Amino acid sequence: MKLFSRFMPSSGMRQVPKSVTIHAVLLAYTVIALFPIIVVVINSFKERRAIFRDPLGLPDSSSFTLVGFEQVLLRSDFGLYSWNSLVVTILAVGLVLLLGAMAAWALTEYKFKGNLLITFLFAMGIMIPIRLGTVSILSLMVNLNLVNTLTALVLVYIAQGLPLAVYILSEFVRTIPKELTEAARCDSVSEYKIFFCVILPLLKPAMATVAVFTMIPIWNDLWFPLILAPGEETRTITLGVQQFVGQYVTDWNSVLSALTLAIVPVLILYTIFSRQLIRGLTSGAVK
Amino acid sequence: MNPSNQHDEKKPFPWHLVFFLGPGLLIYVIFSVYPLLDTLVLSLYNEQQGQSHFVGLQNFITLITDDAWSHAFWNALSNNFTFFAIHMLVQNPIGLILAVLLSSPKLRLSGTYRTLIFMPTMLSVVIIGFVWQLLLSPIWGISENFLYSIGLGEYFDAWLGKESSALITLAFISVWQFVGIPMMLIYATLLNIPDDIVDASVVDGANSFQTFWHIKLPLILPTIAMVSILTFVANFNAFELIYAVKGALAGPNFSTDLMGTFFYRTFFGFQLQQGSASMGAAVATLMFLIILVGVMLFLFFIQRRIQRFQF
Amino acid sequence: MASVKLNNIKKRFGDVDVLHGIDLDIKDGEFVVLIGESGCGKSTLLRLLSGLEDITEGDLYIDEERVNGRSPAKRGIAMVFQSYALYPHMNVFKNMAFGLKISGKDKAFVNNKVMEAAKKLKIDHLLERLPRELSGGQRQRVAIGRAIVRDPKVFLFDEPLSNLDASLRVQTRVELGKLHQELKATVVYVTHDQVEAMTLGDKIVVMNKGRVEQVGAPLDLYHHPKTQFVAAFIGSPKMNFLTAKISQPDPENTQLVLESGRVVQACVDTSSLNKGDLVQIGIRPEHIALECEHNTVEGTVTLIEHLGELSYLYIEIGQEGEMVLKVDGDNQHQAGDKITFGIQPNRLYLFDHQGKALTRVNAHTSAAIPL
Repeated sequence: MKLFSRFMPSSGMRQVPKSVTIHAVLLAYTVIALFPIIVVVINSFKERRAIFRDPLGLPDSSSFTLVGFEQVLLRSDFGLYSWNSLVVTILAVGLVLLLGAMAAWALTEYKFKGNLLITFLFAMGIMIPIRLGTVSILSLMVNLNLVNTLTALVLVYIAQGLPLAVYILSEFVRTIPKELTEAARCDSVSEYKIFFCVILPLLKPAMATVAVFTMIPIWNDLWFPLILAPGEETRTITLGVQQFVGQYVTDWNSVLSALTLAIVPVLILYTIFSRQLIRGLTSGAVK
Repeated sequence: MNPSNQHDEKKPFPWHLVFFLGPGLLIYVIFSVYPLLDTLVLSLYNEQQGQSHFVGLQNFITLITDDAWSHAFWNALSNNFTFFAIHMLVQNPIGLILAVLLSSPKLRLSGTYRTLIFMPTMLSVVIIGFVWQLLLSPIWGISENFLYSIGLGEYFDAWLGKESSALITLAFISVWQFVGIPMMLIYATLLNIPDDIVDASVVDGANSFQTFWHIKLPLILPTIAMVSILTFVANFNAFELIYAVKGALAGPNFSTDLMGTFFYRTFFGFQLQQGSASMGAAVATLMFLIILVGVMLFLFFIQRRIQRFQF
Repeated sequence: MASVKLNNIKKRFGDVDVLHGIDLDIKDGEFVVLIGESGCGKSTLLRLLSGLEDITEGDLYIDEERVNGRSPAKRGIAMVFQSYALYPHMNVFKNMAFGLKISGKDKAFVNNKVMEAAKKLKIDHLLERLPRELSGGQRQRVAIGRAIVRDPKVFLFDEPLSNLDASLRVQTRVELGKLHQELKATVVYVTHDQVEAMTLGDKIVVMNKGRVEQVGAPLDLYHHPKTQFVAAFIGSPKMNFLTAKISQPDPENTQLVLESGRVVQACVDTSSLNKGDLVQIGIRPEHIALECEHNTVEGTVTLIEHLGELSYLYIEIGQEGEMVLKVDGDNQHQAGDKITFGIQPNRLYLFDHQGKALTRVNAHTSAAIPL
């Protein structure tokens, strides 16, 4: 009896159908969201014939194969692509966080001429996609001799990520009580020390949010790698997969394996960090 | 106190401002603001044999009226609005419904649903494009078999390959991927509505639909407006999905061409047509203006009327 | 208006018992205050009454009708929330009219009702304003108005004054008292402020850890606390407690020894206890007199708080610790003074080791300071 009542909403029968409906809808949508991904991942471990005969079946001892993965690793440099993506993403996100926090602090804490103009300039960047400047960015990179370097990507991604970072972090800086900095100034602590020792640690939760918002578009971007760094040595994972799939489109094992190789690491990272990530998304930083 | 005393202590040059603001602002201006302005300027020039000269609005006139260009331009623009409309009509309502369901009080597993439904949003558009290309492929036949199994088999078609359905199919793929974003933003706003306000409406006798309609919906309206403008901007930024699935030519017969792919082709050229930096800049400028107008309309007509609520 | 009856009401959240069986009778038109420390279950109990939370076990009757599982609106209750919970996007009129509109009342009726309530609460000039354009006190009135328009059988108040500043709180408290007399409504009012409880309540329910500690009229609780908890909770400054040992159990005149060896007489029946049992002596600050010759104690003044018509003396009395005295405002003592004071034996309270009050004999029940 006790066990029974624990699983029943205590208000009785009236609410049961409602919560069942909610679960049914959410479950159905979860299936819709996951099904395509799962199909691709399980078929990447199957032989070509099994892929077509029974696309929804799990690989068994007779159909299991890693030939697709072997082909992918043989024909292209997935390790290098992933490394490139990792380097670009980490450098760009790290610098966006640091420079963004510094700029947000300067713009909210100090009164100076041009403050409003600079704030407005950054705000514009949230709405206007940086891609629209691609024509000039490319010629700029040509002039700076940065085409086909990861540096070009890092620089562009910093410029791309800064506006939102400055906006979110400024909102957050505003919530930090003035007394904190005023107390520090009364003890004649330098402005640099105030920022790095007092403010920066307080910004951590907001920076987690910014990191999420900045990281995903960078990792997944195709446009700038395609235009600024299409060379074999600087290819990112997204571009690498795109090129590979385009080239071997009829080799189903390879295509499925390449997609799986691109999907699985992201999903593993996502599962590990999803709690922080979603907390960041829902923390109200985007009010 | 003598007022002149204040001048005695000369204010030191604010080096800390340069230190804090300098690096970020420098990178932002060089790699975002300057290229954008330069693009706007470039769109007024024409280059021939490495020489560029000022041509005023000629590039735009060519784009909009010249037979070689205008058809492609208007086609891409109208496709882009179709793409946007489908997102507004499908993605955002579904996101809203999911957010409302997720925020139902005392829902078990709501964290799990949230995490899983948001999963596709994390992946690259390119990957998602390929995944769906495979799933919808008549060669593989997964979708076809699925439709047969629920009795709708005869409706199956090579949607991605047909001029009439390719764009809509791609839009739905994009909706499928990005529904997590409106869901999360609206969900966050719903969580911010104090329980007391919802309780008060229950005490006032409202059923759950009435509570949603009269209390919650007005309070999440600002978020829905923000989601709409984000959708608008993102749709004019869309390129990857089309490029991955259909290539730069946005086939079949340009039926899936969006401003993003049109911009890319204009700039880099395709098949027989030479790429042109100044024409590319003109397309980018038009996109810039469309986004600007959209954002302005939003700020002046919608944002102004919708109040944000402090709880 | 209606009576409310609670019969062994229990509430569990998962495996946690929050309320352990509450019995309570509320008469028609009675103003009942639920009081206790935060987390004692008073707000949960209010939510059970409102129907916002489900009752795990027990029966709830409003107007002799069992209403368990009935939705809040159908119970005929109205609630005023601590945060006021005004709908931020609706103006004052719409806030007050919402419940009536939802129930499908016609426009003229709604208008009448809202205007009537608004006039009563003197907010009829604010009807077009949004909640954020109102002061705290005005919001409070709107929240009450929203409850009034629905003519509920029972009003539920959840700490309605705690968000107001001190002076406004006193003023609103008085107005609430008048409003209750005017409406003759049944009210259940949750607070942690004993002054609110004493001044507003016809009946006070002191709650502790999910149980009812004592129910009674305000003065009843003040004079005859059944437990040490209630004694400590009612009265300000708090009752002083000293640990003592019984040296002579007696049905009416007990002799006790304090830790310092001082002997104290108390008119309390301790016949149920044994010699050597430890008890707590309770002494209200207002019952200690500087001129009293009974049970005299010496101590040193450590701090004086002047409130005007009276002062609080904080006195260090050696091993037993500190005591508070309420004395006349124009006394001339200073910190560091050595003073002697005493307590009439019939003013003392004794509590056994479980915190239960022992019966007092010939108890003095006048609040005046004895001379």
